[in-house]
Amino acid sequence: MANFFPKWTNWLPLKVVICAGAIVTFLVAGISYYFTPKYTRVGYEPTQPVPFSHVIHVQQLGMDCRYCHSFVEVASHSNIPTTQTCMACHTQIKADSPKLAAVRESWKTGEPVNWVRIHKLPDYTYFNHAVHVNRGVSCYSCHGAVNEMKVVYQHETQSMSWCLDCHRAPENHLRPPSEIYNMAWHPPADTTQRQIGLKFKEEWEVNPPVTCGGCHR
Amino acid sequence: MKINFHHPAPEKTPRIWRSLRELENDPEFEKHLHTEFPRGADVYQDSGLSKRDFIKLMGASIALAGVGLTGCRRPESYLVPFTKGVEFTIPGKFLYYATSMPARFGAIPLVATTSDGRPTKLEGNPLHPFSNGGTDTFAQAETLNLYDPHRSKQITENGKPSSREAFDAYVASVAQSDGSNLAILTEPSSSPTRARFRAALQTKFPKLVWAEYDPLAPTAANAANEASFGSSVRLVPQFSRADVILAIDSDFLNPIETGIGYAQGFSARRNPEQKGASMNRLYAVENHYTVTGGMADHRLRCKISETGEFARQLGLALAAATNNAALAEVANAFPASQTSIDPAWIKECAADLAKNAGSSIVLAGPMTPAPVQVLVNAINNALGNIGSTLLPVKADLVPAASIEDLAAAIDKGNVKTLFLMGVNPVYNAPANLGFKELLSKVPDTVHLGFFEDETGTASRWHVPAAHFLESWGDCRTFDGTYTSVQPMILPLWNGVSEIEVLNILSGATAPEGPSLVRETFNAIAPQATAESWNAFLRDGFLPESAFQQIQPTFNAATASGLAKKGAPAKADALELVFLQSSSVDDGRYANNSWLLETPDFVTKVTWDNVLMVSPATAVRLGIKTNNFGLLGDVAEKMGNDVNYDLIGDIVELSDGKSTIEAAAIVAPGHADDSLSIALGYGRKGVSALMDGVGFDAYPLRSSNSMRFLDGVTIKVTDRNYPIAQTQEHRSMEGRDLVREGSLERYAKDNAFAQTMGMDSHIPPNISLYTHPELNAKDQWGMTVDLNTCTGCNACVVACQAENNVPVVGKDQVRKNRDMAWIRLDRYFAGDSSDPEMLSHAIMCQHCENAPCETVCPVNATVHSEDGLNLMAYNRCIGTRYCANNCPWKVRRFNYFDYNQRPIDELYWGPLAKKGMADSLKMSKNPNVTVRMRGVMEKCTFCIQRIEEAKISRLVEAGPTPASDTPIAPFKVACQQACPNDSIVFGNIADPKSQVSRMRKDPRGYVMFKYLNVSPRVTYLARIRNPNPKMPGADLVGMANGSGHHGDAHGEHADQGHVDSHSDHHTEPAAH
Repeated sequence: MANFFPKWTNWLPLKVVICAGAIVTFLVAGISYYFTPKYTRVGYEPTQPVPFSHVIHVQQLGMDCRYCHSFVEVASHSNIPTTQTCMACHTQIKADSPKLAAVRESWKTGEPVNWVRIHKLPDYTYFNHAVHVNRGVSCYSCHGAVNEMKVVYQHETQSMSWCLDCHRAPENHLRPPSEIYNMAWHPPADTTQRQIGLKFKEEWEVNPPVTCGGCHR
Repeated sequence: MKINFHHPAPEKTPRIWRSLRELENDPEFEKHLHTEFPRGADVYQDSGLSKRDFIKLMGASIALAGVGLTGCRRPESYLVPFTKGVEFTIPGKFLYYATSMPARFGAIPLVATTSDGRPTKLEGNPLHPFSNGGTDTFAQAETLNLYDPHRSKQITENGKPSSREAFDAYVASVAQSDGSNLAILTEPSSSPTRARFRAALQTKFPKLVWAEYDPLAPTAANAANEASFGSSVRLVPQFSRADVILAIDSDFLNPIETGIGYAQGFSARRNPEQKGASMNRLYAVENHYTVTGGMADHRLRCKISETGEFARQLGLALAAATNNAALAEVANAFPASQTSIDPAWIKECAADLAKNAGSSIVLAGPMTPAPVQVLVNAINNALGNIGSTLLPVKADLVPAASIEDLAAAIDKGNVKTLFLMGVNPVYNAPANLGFKELLSKVPDTVHLGFFEDETGTASRWHVPAAHFLESWGDCRTFDGTYTSVQPMILPLWNGVSEIEVLNILSGATAPEGPSLVRETFNAIAPQATAESWNAFLRDGFLPESAFQQIQPTFNAATASGLAKKGAPAKADALELVFLQSSSVDDGRYANNSWLLETPDFVTKVTWDNVLMVSPATAVRLGIKTNNFGLLGDVAEKMGNDVNYDLIGDIVELSDGKSTIEAAAIVAPGHADDSLSIALGYGRKGVSALMDGVGFDAYPLRSSNSMRFLDGVTIKVTDRNYPIAQTQEHRSMEGRDLVREGSLERYAKDNAFAQTMGMDSHIPPNISLYTHPELNAKDQWGMTVDLNTCTGCNACVVACQAENNVPVVGKDQVRKNRDMAWIRLDRYFAGDSSDPEMLSHAIMCQHCENAPCETVCPVNATVHSEDGLNLMAYNRCIGTRYCANNCPWKVRRFNYFDYNQRPIDELYWGPLAKKGMADSLKMSKNPNVTVRMRGVMEKCTFCIQRIEEAKISRLVEAGPTPASDTPIAPFKVACQQACPNDSIVFGNIADPKSQVSRMRKDPRGYVMFKYLNVSPRVTYLARIRNPNPKMPGADLVGMANGSGHHGDAHGEHADQGHVDSHSDHHTEPAAH
């Protein structure tokens, strides 16, 4: 019988299988990487050089966010406290705690404490803390219930679509100015977040940018 | 646009390889290459990759990128707070400090922007009485100088690393000696603290030789003023009072020559609509085109050697007109010579000056020979300008020994220890001194310098100098206002300042920056308190500390004595004029890539200096160049692809003793039989960046030919030299991009510019496209007043500093890949031998109907509701369609990772070195993205400043209606830097804003109106003010032709108004 198929077709099924397998593998790997919270690092909870607990400081002691993050209302960057800020209390309280060794070491040597960064926007994105906290957006909206975090982790995706969700509908997050730093705030029982938000949005003329130039420079 | 890849020469063992066989240099493989692509090599060498090759390569690299990316996770990064809080410092917020930059003409008052302790931007200090808040190009580029990774970092003794302790001990040992063989060579300085140390040292060491040298110092001007008015007299011009100005060999409108503040008042008097004063008139006499010449209403091409004769004839004419015996005496003392200057020009210019006696200014350049300067002083005196438009003040100049005196002292063996402070005489001293050989006769030499340069390597000690942003100091501006210099950062590489060295030399132990200056302050300030000291540092100057005004008498005897020394012009001789470089000054900025890549004002040449020659002289000498429209067969041979291969003939110039080489280009408007070359180039062995850049002209410059060398011989070689020019084209092709008219025409029809050319014919524009509404409350727009824009380049470098614009290198500029976001186009109008020059600042026009936006396939460039044409870098995939569709050609593409790769290794592929020097990272503006390869970029209207202003408004508003709080005024970077306030930026929706008023000016027009792109940048047409009696007056202000369009089609004028978008933002909305 004549050869209907040239010889190279012998390997064709195998090649098809290998190629299909490769494509499937790439797709699975790609999707599982880029489409899962792991990519946006929700839940990213690195070990910090000092086991600082927001539960103790905020929940139990009732400290205000701005005691440590002191420039959040004026600067684009919400600063991490200096060693000096820590030592303001910890020369008296828990002055010998082994957990605070790194802070004491920093104070002695002048070398700063290297806190591991959790929330990181890309370099081409310019986020400004001051404008958000001054115009009714609480820390809670982006960072979650930090007051309940023994170790801080990333609570939101902080992806571009997540930013735009709020920029398009800020009423879902606007709060009374007095409650910006209150992590446990809930809308009063007789009203909803949306009603409060819409009221403030109109009153303060809140009109967040949704064009590229609002965040990308 | 054609892609033209120049690969590095193939290496024996290639670092970048395509296959293993190639790596092994397999001869079979080479044969295979040759047979399969017989013409492939040519394609690669000359005309770039084919599209097919490109796509194949791209495919491969994308696959590789995929493999690479899946293996990487986001790296762990850290937030590092201060250990102790630093006073005033808020992370993420800028701090501003007043300081100033010591400069040749005193100082440039500055406000330094510091970000987390790093100075990142310098801007003019608008509070300073002798500044309008502008800067020059050099001040803008100083941040790069500060962070220059090539700066010297190590104290060396005899070329071996040493230490600060050893050096201090050495200086202390000199301080212990009797100083009988001690000499100090330094630059002239306005610093009172340095003057104090000088006086102390001269008391301590009576035999000390204190010499001062700067290749471009106004030594001649000082000598002429002394002969005319007595010692230490300085003339401060008052341009606001001057109706007629004559500039002889003077580029006074250029802040790099005269400093900020010198020409203030001039631009206000250029406005034809000003109240209470007529528009001023500017005459210029010069050999090559300067920015002042470009602004002039009448310009006379004149050899520099003949400016003396010009001044003599003008002086005689004015002496007759004013009956001034002193002027007649001085003018007659000046030796006469034969020239071909048009007598009618002198006659009418003199008549105009005589008519405006007391309200005119005659200026000579700082390097113009002293006999000419003294003649100019006599003219001003005869006209009664001294005391009215030229205020004489008693400056604090103390005569110092010249470099010639020092050379004589060394020659006699009187100098055993020589301190060279911030000078580089081995490179730039007059050639007749032979300074390098002289230096070897001095056993102990100490060089304090920014680089381990020619002098540094020839000295026993080399000490890194501190930058003015790293050290304490003080200075006086030209008018004498006492101005502070305070450090913004600790010395990056342990630099030492001059006053610290002088302090140790005077016998003190520890160098203490602030206390040294404070001691001087206490002596100068009327009330030296802690408050006044703090105010001095905060404001940057001491109020009312300017030099005392005096009323000197003109001394005709000494003046004519000096005028007698004038050199008559040699007939038929070729002269060579030495110029201050627009990029490297006298060579001190030779390592500043921002400045090297900034095109020269007139020639538009980057990275090199060139010999300028007039078209007629070029023909006479047989110099062929393919510039400025004189392309001819050269361009044809290259398929009219002139962008890629601009070449200039190399010529040899000789004064009989030394010979230099230089590439020549034809410069329209240059005087015949005159050659001009900028100083400061052609340095060798200092840093890789300086090497092989331009041609060194210092070997032909000697003590008696500091401005020009009369009688130079030239030989045109058959070699040529590639030149990187950003604008080789000189004509507007009849498109009326720049519009100008004479004052007469303006008086007849003040809106003539709106109906010029095509604009008088176009029907009402209708757009096919619809756009989202421009409904924000603030609508950003800009106006550029071409009447006051001189083309000085300050905005170009300011933009580079503000917006992290990368440098691409000469090779890339030759491929039209320069990245400047704002450029100054220069046009010539009229006959190429003596044309008019116009300058045109072009940046993104932020068109409301932007053509770039409609062609972007990925919406990377879109419009914002406040009228900005935005560029989202992270969306851009680099199709370059937008650049192709842009009528202004303002879009810039990152062909390479210019920020990450050394500019000489761009073609080395992925295996080349990657990354930026740490110090350069510190110079970047943290509020602007540093762009990577493959993205388009362009002027953003400084969106970072707009956003900061908007955010600050909202922060201030807090929980109140946003519209109740106005946006605080701010300036964009180019506007801030402009020394003439030609650029105005602001909210065009606010009818009260300055920009709105400027847009309604009848001179306002937009480019390419018939395209209906509705640009947000309005230009105000240039008005020239010719003297109708002058020869050639009918050609002044005629760059656009006679303008019959406007006259014949006057009925269209009602359609011609620029403010076409005003209906777009009737309903303001809050942000």
